[in-house]
Amino acid sequence: MNGIEIALLGAALAVGLAGIGSAVGVGIVGQSASGLVTEDPDKFGQTLLLQALPGTQGIYGLLTGFLIMQDIGIVGEEALLDLTVAQGYGVFMAAMPIAIVGLLSGIYQGRVSAAAVGLVAKRPEELGKGIVYSVMVETYAVLALLASILILFGLDLPT
Amino acid sequence: MPIIDMKKVYLLGHRQEREKVFSLLQHKGSVEMVDVKSGESWSEMESLLEPDQPDEAVSGLDEKLGEIRYCIDFLQRNFPMKKTFVQQFTGAKVELSAERYNDYIDRLDKTKTIYEECRRAEDELARIRNEETQCYNLIAELEPWVTLDVPIEQAKEGSFASMGLYQIPVDNLPELQGALDDKLPAHYLEVFSTGTDIACFFFACVKAEFSTAQELFKENTVTAVSFPELTGTPSQNIDSMQKKLDSLAEEREAVLNEVEGFLEHRPMLMACHDYMDNELKKHEAVMNLARTDNSFLLEGWVPEPVLADLETTMAEETDTAILVSRNPEPHEDVPVLLHNRGPADAYEVVTLLYSTPKKNELDPTPYLAPFFLIFFGICLSDAGYGLILTLLAIFVSRKLRLSGMGKQLMKLLYLGGFSAAVFGILFGGYFGDLFNLPPLWFNPLDDPMTMLIYCFAIGLVQIYFGLGLQAYRNIKAGKPLDALFDQGFWFIFLNGLIMLLLPGLALVGQGLAVGGGAGLILTQGRTQQGIIKKFMSGLLSLYNITGYLSDVLSYSRLLALGLATGVIAMAINAIGELVYGSIIGIVVMVVILAGGHLFNVVISSLTSYVHTSRLQYVEFFGKFFEGGGKSFRPFRVQTNYIDVTEREEA
Repeated sequence: MNGIEIALLGAALAVGLAGIGSAVGVGIVGQSASGLVTEDPDKFGQTLLLQALPGTQGIYGLLTGFLIMQDIGIVGEEALLDLTVAQGYGVFMAAMPIAIVGLLSGIYQGRVSAAAVGLVAKRPEELGKGIVYSVMVETYAVLALLASILILFGLDLPT
Repeated sequence: MPIIDMKKVYLLGHRQEREKVFSLLQHKGSVEMVDVKSGESWSEMESLLEPDQPDEAVSGLDEKLGEIRYCIDFLQRNFPMKKTFVQQFTGAKVELSAERYNDYIDRLDKTKTIYEECRRAEDELARIRNEETQCYNLIAELEPWVTLDVPIEQAKEGSFASMGLYQIPVDNLPELQGALDDKLPAHYLEVFSTGTDIACFFFACVKAEFSTAQELFKENTVTAVSFPELTGTPSQNIDSMQKKLDSLAEEREAVLNEVEGFLEHRPMLMACHDYMDNELKKHEAVMNLARTDNSFLLEGWVPEPVLADLETTMAEETDTAILVSRNPEPHEDVPVLLHNRGPADAYEVVTLLYSTPKKNELDPTPYLAPFFLIFFGICLSDAGYGLILTLLAIFVSRKLRLSGMGKQLMKLLYLGGFSAAVFGILFGGYFGDLFNLPPLWFNPLDDPMTMLIYCFAIGLVQIYFGLGLQAYRNIKAGKPLDALFDQGFWFIFLNGLIMLLLPGLALVGQGLAVGGGAGLILTQGRTQQGIIKKFMSGLLSLYNITGYLSDVLSYSRLLALGLATGVIAMAINAIGELVYGSIIGIVVMVVILAGGHLFNVVISSLTSYVHTSRLQYVEFFGKFFEGGGKSFRPFRVQTNYIDVTEREEA
């Protein structure tokens, strides 16, 4: 593989793995939310909010993937960069934090959010606390995103 | 004063005025009642007073309320009032003018007839449903015989021949036919339908030979089918059943039309429900009282600012009620009511989502407000998005009559939108890079490290501020040494460590770090017994530096979320640009841009809100705020369905 291909593999993994994490997480919440909504359809709005929470990992992954694509010239007006294999690996490594953490934190955040659906079922007024628990997990996806962005910006790519 | 001072009040009145006093209190909504029997003075008063009991009216009210609730539920089942997406968060109350509300309450007696009508309609619907089921069942039973031309009542034993309808397991049918052919030369058997396991057939034979046939039937598990109450052929019967079903459907339609006619009473029912509910609460509240033969005693909490008003009301409106108040005793469980002036009021929702402050504790709301405002702005950091958010918040507040936390949340988003717009201008975010406008300050996307440092710095400010608040609490509680040891030394130590990293200040930093560290080692174990234990816990306390480190690092999310908003916006713009070209392309581009940016506003506002909240809850509150107080819950008018507005209906 040449440098550009390695870099693209990184972008694909960032979007793909973080996307899987979010898809699984959102799926878990959707299942338990449907159970609640059969009993109480008026809780749709609140549970939808909880379901949206583990969806952010996928967005962070896409964001990293997009930044990579822009940097190497796949999207945008600039021409495709001529990356060395080493530079390609650099971009690949930049994608790894959000790819790995996005995959796992999305799933775990989904579980916490699903438990929060149970919380909302019994005490709808405590939605805020359920959200906070869920966001504690997301913290690590945000940190991984930060690491990915910093690595990417720190790379010395040809212009 | 963010936490309102509470006064303990005792209200003594004549029994005859109890109703009146309660109505006044409920209307004012400024007293939280306390069960007199749980008070400390009860043991002294017990011999003189007795607990009050709700009167007989309660069961009557309860029954009436049950009837009204039944009507509302019945109407809701048949003609549901759907809630919109927004109303699922805010609740959907019907607005009524005071005039109309009173008008409805005057017609309270009418609910009885409506109740009876509803009951009758529901019974009628149940009957119709029952008959329909019967028809469907009969049709299902007759279906296999639909081609039989003989009227059912004739398929029975006659003078010379025996006829009948029978069922047999499909597998046994050939065997039966064979046996019949052998033993009964003169018989007639016609199969009408063959299902997967049961076959239906008509059988006729000479009466004298029928017993032989029955023998064979028994061997092959044949069962007789009879429709004793039917006359005519099966198909005639099915037709008549269909007709009956049609007429039943018409009947149902008629009943439902009638029920639909009741819908106009729904607002009245709702008004009456809320009215009765509050009446009932008023009567039940009596259980908190103590009484003698002719007087009653009420104990409760009143916020200090409204106390005077309550006193004048009681003096003016009643002849006997006497209100005495005193300051709370230190050990009493005082309810907490927050009251912040100006914009800080919006941020009460943030505090209350975490916990109500304890009595005597600082209300963190005014202190977190500026940080929340700034952090939210940095996370969203887009002038266009901020504007949209502010407009949305204005729109929702105008459209829905919100109160309490809903209203505060809208105000918070409204202010947050402004903050986001300011940071958008500073960082050059106008729907991402849609207009390619230069930043007023610098673009974090070009220089993330600088932005990261600023984020840590602002985080450090908030952490120091939290430490300062805790120090203030310690000093106010008369423990200035605690403030010095627990907060002061940390402040010195942390600053020393930071200066160590800066060239030129390293020497000063060294001194401060060593001094602060030594101070911590010497003082942090002061609650332990023995010199060694004291020293060891002092030394171990330095390990808390990791806590401060992770707290500060946690503020890096401000940068990450700010970048996320911007880059998602850029991605949307890039996709829009891809389709730009022909007229259709421009239309598609506009759709992509509008939809995409709206999505980003919603999702980025959500993440900005939750992450900003988290920074307050974990990093900031952890330094000084405990929470766990009891909120002030006054005895007041509470409505489920109705919002009584002062303004006149158009």
